[in-house]
Amino acid sequence: MARRPIRLTVNGRIHDVESESSAILLDVLRDLGYTDVKSGCEQGDCGACAVLLNGTAVNSCLVLAWQADGCEVVTNRGLGTMDAPHVIQEAFADSGGVQCGFCTSGMVIATKALLDRNPDPTEAEIRDALSGNLCRCTGYGQIVGAVRLAAKRLRDLASIPASSHSEDGRESQGGRGISVPDGQANGGGAGC
Amino acid sequence: MLPEFDLHQPANLDEALEILVATPEALPLAGGTCLLVDLRKRRCTVDTLIDLSRVAELRAIRIEESELVVGAMARIAEILDSEEVARYAPILRKACRSFAAPLVRNRATVGGNLAYASPAADMAGPLLVLDAVVELRSTIGLRRLPLAEFFLGPGKTVRQANELLTSIRISIADERPWAYEKLGLRKADAITVVSASVARMPSDGSARIALGAVAPTPLRVRRAEEELGIGTWSADAIANAARLAADEARPIDDVRGSGTYRKREVDVLVRRSLERVAEGGEADGA
Amino acid sequence: MLENVQPKPLPEVDLPPLHQLGKPLRRVDALGKAVGATEYAADFSLPGMLHAKVLRSPVPSARIARLDVSKARALPGVACVLTGEDVRGAKLNTDMPGQTGRAARTGSDAPVLALDIVRYVGEPIALVAAETLSIAERALEAIEIDFEERPAVFDPHEAMKPGAPILFEPDNVVARYTIQKGDVDAGMDEAETIVENTFTVPFIEHAYLEPDAGVAWTDEQGVINIRVCTQVVEHFRTVARAVGVPQNKIRVRGTMVGGGFGSKEDVTVEIFLAFLTQKTGRPVKLVYTREEAFAATSKRHPFSITHRTGVAKDGRITASHISLVADSGAYPYLTPYVLLYATATAAGPYKIDNLRVDSVAAATNQTFTSAFRGFGAAQAAVAYEQQMDEIAKALDLDPLAVRRANYLTTGDATGTGQTVKSAAWLEETATRALHALGERTSDTATRKVGRGFASYMQSYGRIMWFHDTSRAWVGVEQDGSGVIRCGVPDIGAGQSNSLCQIAAEILGIPLHRMTVYATDSALTPLAGTSTATRQLYMSGNAVCRAAQTVRENLVNRAAVAFGVTPDVIDLAHGFAFVKADYSGPELEAALSGDGVRSIELAALAKLCAGEGIALSELAQFNAPFVDGLDENGQGDIWPDFTFGAQAVEVAVDTQTGQIELLKSAACHDIGRAINRSAVHGQIAGGSHQGLGYALMEDFRFRDGFIETPSFAEYLIPTTVDLPATKVIILESGTGIGPFGAKGIGEPSLTPAAPAVANAVADAIGARVHDLPLTPERVLDALDRAAEKKEKRA
Repeated sequence: MARRPIRLTVNGRIHDVESESSAILLDVLRDLGYTDVKSGCEQGDCGACAVLLNGTAVNSCLVLAWQADGCEVVTNRGLGTMDAPHVIQEAFADSGGVQCGFCTSGMVIATKALLDRNPDPTEAEIRDALSGNLCRCTGYGQIVGAVRLAAKRLRDLASIPASSHSEDGRESQGGRGISVPDGQANGGGAGC
Repeated sequence: MLPEFDLHQPANLDEALEILVATPEALPLAGGTCLLVDLRKRRCTVDTLIDLSRVAELRAIRIEESELVVGAMARIAEILDSEEVARYAPILRKACRSFAAPLVRNRATVGGNLAYASPAADMAGPLLVLDAVVELRSTIGLRRLPLAEFFLGPGKTVRQANELLTSIRISIADERPWAYEKLGLRKADAITVVSASVARMPSDGSARIALGAVAPTPLRVRRAEEELGIGTWSADAIANAARLAADEARPIDDVRGSGTYRKREVDVLVRRSLERVAEGGEADGA
Repeated sequence: MLENVQPKPLPEVDLPPLHQLGKPLRRVDALGKAVGATEYAADFSLPGMLHAKVLRSPVPSARIARLDVSKARALPGVACVLTGEDVRGAKLNTDMPGQTGRAARTGSDAPVLALDIVRYVGEPIALVAAETLSIAERALEAIEIDFEERPAVFDPHEAMKPGAPILFEPDNVVARYTIQKGDVDAGMDEAETIVENTFTVPFIEHAYLEPDAGVAWTDEQGVINIRVCTQVVEHFRTVARAVGVPQNKIRVRGTMVGGGFGSKEDVTVEIFLAFLTQKTGRPVKLVYTREEAFAATSKRHPFSITHRTGVAKDGRITASHISLVADSGAYPYLTPYVLLYATATAAGPYKIDNLRVDSVAAATNQTFTSAFRGFGAAQAAVAYEQQMDEIAKALDLDPLAVRRANYLTTGDATGTGQTVKSAAWLEETATRALHALGERTSDTATRKVGRGFASYMQSYGRIMWFHDTSRAWVGVEQDGSGVIRCGVPDIGAGQSNSLCQIAAEILGIPLHRMTVYATDSALTPLAGTSTATRQLYMSGNAVCRAAQTVRENLVNRAAVAFGVTPDVIDLAHGFAFVKADYSGPELEAALSGDGVRSIELAALAKLCAGEGIALSELAQFNAPFVDGLDENGQGDIWPDFTFGAQAVEVAVDTQTGQIELLKSAACHDIGRAINRSAVHGQIAGGSHQGLGYALMEDFRFRDGFIETPSFAEYLIPTTVDLPATKVIILESGTGIGPFGAKGIGEPSLTPAAPAVANAVADAIGARVHDLPLTPERVLDALDRAAEKKEKRA
């Protein structure tokens, strides 16, 4: 087995870290303090460890750390904070889509990946995009509602007109208002 | 945790092939969605992995003269997005839709799926009925062979230790009506219980029928195909072919289903798929 | 049948509208979780921390012939290796967990580490603590162990036969109950028809997303701190007993739990961590793999339940004899209580004068079974609701008509003779769930459509002879913000938010200005377990009491300030104000203006503080205390029950056997919603687990070896497997929780699986008696029905 330094840019911050050849990205991220990336199964079945790797949503448990060398990683925390939550995060908080919250970071990442490609998804498209993220608490209904709400709020911010299939979904009263718009740029890049 | 191994990360195909010569026990790492799981569970051991994710030549999906060439490292998600695949191999596209789940599709590759050679390999059935050809390369040269000759047994293929599966080639000369159905115990991230892929040659009406998860390898069922012959497929011929396909299947009992059930469902799925193809075949929506 | 069902009209219920209570406000924990800030048990580390691993039995039944840990101990970087010898005598899970005034020992205690006998695959044998996880894993591999296989038993029926290998002295019987009332023989004689069926349900895995985990360390007072995901903070007592220290030298700091569903009610990592930190003097972290969580934490009890029911022509039950056999797995854990729940609810929410229920649970060499949402009453419902449909079929009656002929109503007695005191909206909920299915989908040539529903009763609040109590501290800060301190474990259902929303309502503080400090056995008043659908009832009522006292102090002082009597003062939107001064819809705006006599809570709090008027209160709530059942199994068990129903429509492919759930609707009377969105989430989520139970979940053993060791083999529903369940919330206001609330955590799951089983039977005209309803079992049932038809023809 070998060790070598790798460079990971995580949520915009550069980390130069010594890493073993058999280390997985999930563990390296968590050791760097990104504990929002959760370990649920270590075999790609639950989606709790999902991150954006150069803009693509992947299970970080199935990516070797060296494979992510030179890549940009975005975790849930990279999208927003308590003081400045991302529209998607707020929508989850407002919709009842968060119960125990353990699946939530992975769900938010999968949602980000979906809405980046498709700002106005149908319910079927939402469910398909999140079909690799298991949730045991919610029965998924309020998570789907959260995604629809997030999509609507993002479209409103960008002034994209609604199509015939987009409705308000199940909006929850009493939220804290719309937050900072989506400013996260997607990394491009090869090989990761 | 994963066991310890050395990892090479070749930047191009030649480098990758040379490493295989230097380290014959090394295993190529494609998407990792099966191999890394096996390593973690200690189902296999390896000292050296060769990460193919930086070998750009292996990723392309392109038209080359009369062939659709899909690089071995093309991710399932990329195949799903590809306009060329949508146009020339829509049956493959449909199989990609029900392959695992989106996060896995972003990493898993068609070459990895074939080379891992699970009897349930979801990419195999559709490619078999498209008469796909696989290309294997080594430092010595390259060879191409029909996918139907590629699989030897569960986890075993004709790939030699010094070879890499580099691409899958599909003729675009004809547009074959097709049908594909996968039975699983749930609708996403489900290992196939039985799958049936069917295509019909527009030239002579002959059938291509392939089954997944019901034999040691993905299986073209030739006797069933012969039963249908050429020309129009009669209802009787369809029923007989489905039955013959079930006879040819050799499924085992496992945690997902009994062999008896699988044989029975081969008959059902093949018959349904043949009927659909006889009526013009499926269209995979956007 | 089961079409165009009209909802039964509801009685008038006067639930006065409240300012915040009931509203789907954003939960206090939601944003932290949504932005990934919430730190779960595995997300915490300390300097100098060791990493622990557990060596577990790979075989189901054996004697440990040789155990040599010397090579492991000698590995560089290994700080400690413990075996059964090192912790001899220490037990897991001795007493009934939680806040109990009376000890209720389950009777047989699993050893912390196996000493010479292993009884299930996954049983812990040794503990390792090392500098890194990698070294800990290598240390496990360096442990040498030889097993001598011993006879094993894998079926509770087999386990009770003479000559069976004994896991639990003297005869593998872990618990046994009998309930009888009336005269069953006479009732059977009176019957027009007798219907008999046996139903089975398998082992089920909780499949919470967060694998069990914790970190322990010893602090400057010599207190062993255990930061752990748990449903029970009071395990500090069990840990203290196990490691041999006084109870005030163990501090359990419960984290936000990433799902528990009953599995985290047992001691999981706590005692391992306590021993390791005690021996090494260093912080230690233990995180289970998913495979460990599957193999080595509790499962839902498999049951085989036989119903023999005498019925009159109109569907009325004249007599019922029910037998239940449960699999306790390798150690008892909470089996006696799960069996009790199943026995007491075996007959369902029906008036049955002549009843006998016999139940027994026996030990087998499989993973121990214990609490899982529904706790035996869920399994009972799978049987009784299928039996009700079979009765309808035998009598050629509408399934709803058979229910109507037997439903309990308020004032009736249950199978153990307990009078139902709250609303029992059985027909109201069943008809609404069915009505919500809308128009029946048509059959096709290969897809048969069917409808089914299930009614249920599920207790909330613990068994009353445990003398359950809870306590909470509520206070107002001098800037008008609110604080709650309560030992409540938050396992994702909004346990801590509910307390905040209750206090917010009573004190007039906006919910987002409430902070709750929870789940610390040292610093927060002990509130008992988050189990048994008890937290809202128990801790909610404790919060109510505490908040009411503080409210009175505030209101009285405000009354003095305005020169009025206290009864004309209300608290809302951060103000105390004279109610009569404004009665319109824009109260919040009006309070900031001049037209209303009002004082900001911040100012009022400062006044009180300056005058020594208490701004906080610690309150205790006691559940009713009773003594237990008599020799006929008659008596009161629980404080109250929740009633409801689920209805589903399925399409069954008669050639593949695959079941597609087309529609699902659930209607429950939850008494009073504290947070409507959270109630919706519980009903949607609980029903989803129940749907999985019916359709795809099966934790399988073959000769004691686990065939479903991970999420690849053990399937739970994904986003694309099931449609969302339509949720219909009814509020009778008759619960004994805060503001008339009942409980919904467990009830939400109970009717789902039997509803599906009934719908499938309706679709294919034949019954699959065993869960899950796999395609193979469906085809089997179809084949048998076809054979029967041929024979008759």
